[in-house]
Amino acid sequence: MVFSSLTFIYLFLPLALFFHYLSPNKLFRNISLTAFSLAFYAWEEPMWIYLMIFTAIFDYYMALLIERWRGDRKAKIILLVTILVNLSLLIFYKYGGFLYDNLSAIGQLPFDRPQNSLPVGISFYTFMVISYIVDVYRGQLKAQRNPLNFLMFISLFQHLVAGPIVRYSQIGSQVDSRSIDWTGFSNGISRFCIGLFKKIVIANVAGALVTKYLDAGFNDLSTIEAWFGITMFSVQLYFDFSGYSDMAIGLAKMFGFDFDENFRHPYAAQSVGDFYRRWHISLGKFFRDYVYIPLGGNRKLQLRNIMIVWLLTGIWHGASWNFALWGLYFGSFMIIEKLLEKFLKKVPRFLRHTYTLILIIFSRSIFYFVDFGQLKSFVGNLFYSTNSVSIGFKSDLFEHIFWFILVVLMCIPWDEIYPSDTKVNKEATRYYHMLKPAFNIAMLFLATMLLVNSSYNPFLYTRF
Amino acid sequence: MINKINSVLFLSALVGMSSFFLFLPKQKLSEGEKRKLAVFPTFTFDTYLNGTWADSLDEFVDDHFPFRNKFISMAETFNSNKGIHLTHQEKIFIGKKRRGNTTNEEDTTHAKMNFKDDFDEAYSGSLLILDGSVYPVGGGNPKMSRFFSAMLNEYADKLRRRTRVLSAVAPLSSAFIPALKYRKYNTQNKETLLAIKSSLTNGAIFCDVFNELDKHANEKMFFSTDHHWNATGAYYAYVAFCRGAGFTPVDRDKMEKKIKYNFLGSLYQLTRDPSVKANPDTLVYYVPNVTTTAVRYNANNFDRPTKATVFSHASSGGNTYLTFLGGDAPLIKITTSVKNGKKAVVIKNSMGNAFAVYLISHYEEVYVLDFRYSNHNLLQLIERNNINDLIFALGMYGAQSQGTIGMMRRLATNNGVPKRKSTVQSDSNKVARPVKDTLKTN
Repeated sequence: MVFSSLTFIYLFLPLALFFHYLSPNKLFRNISLTAFSLAFYAWEEPMWIYLMIFTAIFDYYMALLIERWRGDRKAKIILLVTILVNLSLLIFYKYGGFLYDNLSAIGQLPFDRPQNSLPVGISFYTFMVISYIVDVYRGQLKAQRNPLNFLMFISLFQHLVAGPIVRYSQIGSQVDSRSIDWTGFSNGISRFCIGLFKKIVIANVAGALVTKYLDAGFNDLSTIEAWFGITMFSVQLYFDFSGYSDMAIGLAKMFGFDFDENFRHPYAAQSVGDFYRRWHISLGKFFRDYVYIPLGGNRKLQLRNIMIVWLLTGIWHGASWNFALWGLYFGSFMIIEKLLEKFLKKVPRFLRHTYTLILIIFSRSIFYFVDFGQLKSFVGNLFYSTNSVSIGFKSDLFEHIFWFILVVLMCIPWDEIYPSDTKVNKEATRYYHMLKPAFNIAMLFLATMLLVNSSYNPFLYTRF
Repeated sequence: MINKINSVLFLSALVGMSSFFLFLPKQKLSEGEKRKLAVFPTFTFDTYLNGTWADSLDEFVDDHFPFRNKFISMAETFNSNKGIHLTHQEKIFIGKKRRGNTTNEEDTTHAKMNFKDDFDEAYSGSLLILDGSVYPVGGGNPKMSRFFSAMLNEYADKLRRRTRVLSAVAPLSSAFIPALKYRKYNTQNKETLLAIKSSLTNGAIFCDVFNELDKHANEKMFFSTDHHWNATGAYYAYVAFCRGAGFTPVDRDKMEKKIKYNFLGSLYQLTRDPSVKANPDTLVYYVPNVTTTAVRYNANNFDRPTKATVFSHASSGGNTYLTFLGGDAPLIKITTSVKNGKKAVVIKNSMGNAFAVYLISHYEEVYVLDFRYSNHNLLQLIERNNINDLIFALGMYGAQSQGTIGMMRRLATNNGVPKRKSTVQSDSNKVARPVKDTLKTN
């Protein structure tokens, strides 16, 4: 099930809220939320629910053992075994086919190619349990004693299929007991509606243009159309994923949880490094805390550490060489930026922004085209194409012009330009607060209107 | 206070719409979209595990969402106001992917009569929108034509000396796009249709529909908002047919002229483009001066025929094309006041409807058989009724797809038993398989 479906908004969500708030009893609420979360997952992934439950049970017990033997060598062994088991499941289900294809190119393998599909959410919940187990080992967390509560933490429908990668340290106390008031609930609604608007009104419209320009005959594109298509993909990816994250954060608030932010106006970034402090923040933090710093961080072999982290970040997105290339691309620019740090600081802000945007938009082509032949052909068109502009390009530009303006306005970091202590921000916040019931209903109405009779529109990040 | 209002308003919207959804009566058909709406899926463990049950339920919710038509209409307004519309519009429309895995039995059997059109089901490709008119992009593939010819040859062989086999396949409207730069599609259409002729080997008669229409390329022969030809295009096809069959076509001046306005057809429903909406079609059609009676048979046998009409003068709005024969039916028998002893069977898809109505001037009996829906045995029908002419009148893509050709071929061996579900699905899949650079439309 996806958040941006009529079934979710008008059937699942009211029922889940009803049962959650039917009784103030904590146990009842946790049972209800876990049941709805499992139903949510089983809606589209009934075959894989056992894997998610196995992961939850296994990690629950391993964390208890680690805690029991804290300070002992056994705890370290269990930690390593637990990480190994979790990563093995991820590697088998996500990268099995990819590894088989590459290894079989070297020599014949004595077994068949794994045929399983990717279990939805495995990339997210595997990282969640790894962060939990490591934090317990480090003594930063107390292991959860209640198996139901732990299963609920892993399976919460708000984050299960496409993140954010929520850490137990963030919401552990809310898993056991949470309070909710009208303000929190109302903020959750507002956040959910904004996310829905981003997904339906921005990402899906951009997606239709992406299909038109990147799927159908990308070989025939002129240079301007190729840039237009890949820019639209950049818009789609951002609004799709940040829309999902907004909806997840909003839904979490409605049920009494506080998730950390996952995006912070990434297209306003001044450098590649800055971009990844604003984009999919929970993933960046995971790699920082559990890979980059343990490898030595800034203190030891920093450039190597950067490349390893970026290679892993790339591969995390998918079992394909293009994702590895994409990671190396960003890793290389991170290193270049480190080396040219002093020089880049002197470059005017506008130029830094332009350079960053071009690099990011270009990188989306590595992200989009899994096939290297297609990628080569498309990148060729980005730089030089003898094709003339196709029929309808002009019409497409004019027919979306108000929408383009809206997209630009929504990418601007207004809260950075006008921080919370400025008069403009205070006034805008006051008006928004007064008008938010109307805004939210309008956004819900608009999204519903566009969802009726729309085709299936899953979130892009559920495939990673 | 504002937070309470916000919460209560939002929750009321959710609960209100849920209640409407649960308690309002459900429609079965969408008149506007000309399709049957999804039925509540039957739960089985298999369909649940493979995800089709959840997909079908999502589809059911989408199809029966309260005030659905109003929402769709408002979405159209929103979509047409995302920017500025140029006066001279030329653009490409790419079809949406429908949600997959719809396996309700009703969707794969003939129960979708009158609302199933293989154009909609098989649509895959691009459409050109030019000044409010929609055209498929492409013109078929000459290499694919030989399969249709082979099927005609088989029938000609089986019916040698007793019944003539005639081919009257319609081109796509792309052949007549009023802009020089699309002239290539005219050539492509021509080559595709002439390739049928070049592969006919044993007496089947090729009626050069393309050539006749091409002579009148400056006239409006196809609808702007629908994938069918109009009565004018069908008339020129009829003229080409008469030339092939050795008849003298009846002049349109000798027929009764009727007009219907404001037709927004399938291509408008598909594109929902404001420029297309602003350019509705007018149907001018001609009623031959022949008295007729007609009956409609079910898909499998001749039991309990129902009354049918050659022209459904009451059809209007989005259903204007149903003017011809009242729409698609497995088998219609028309008995005319022409007493010449001649009888014909027309094998057709929906494109053939507008054509078949002209034949009543030349035959005492005309059987119109829709190969997509009928399980009747064609050879028995021909033999038992002493049929003189077997006419294949269909749109180009019906003659380009191995799936639809297979349906026509199987008419020779049908036994009045409905096709098994798997067979029908398989055919449907074949129809849906895209032919390179083509749009399937019949």
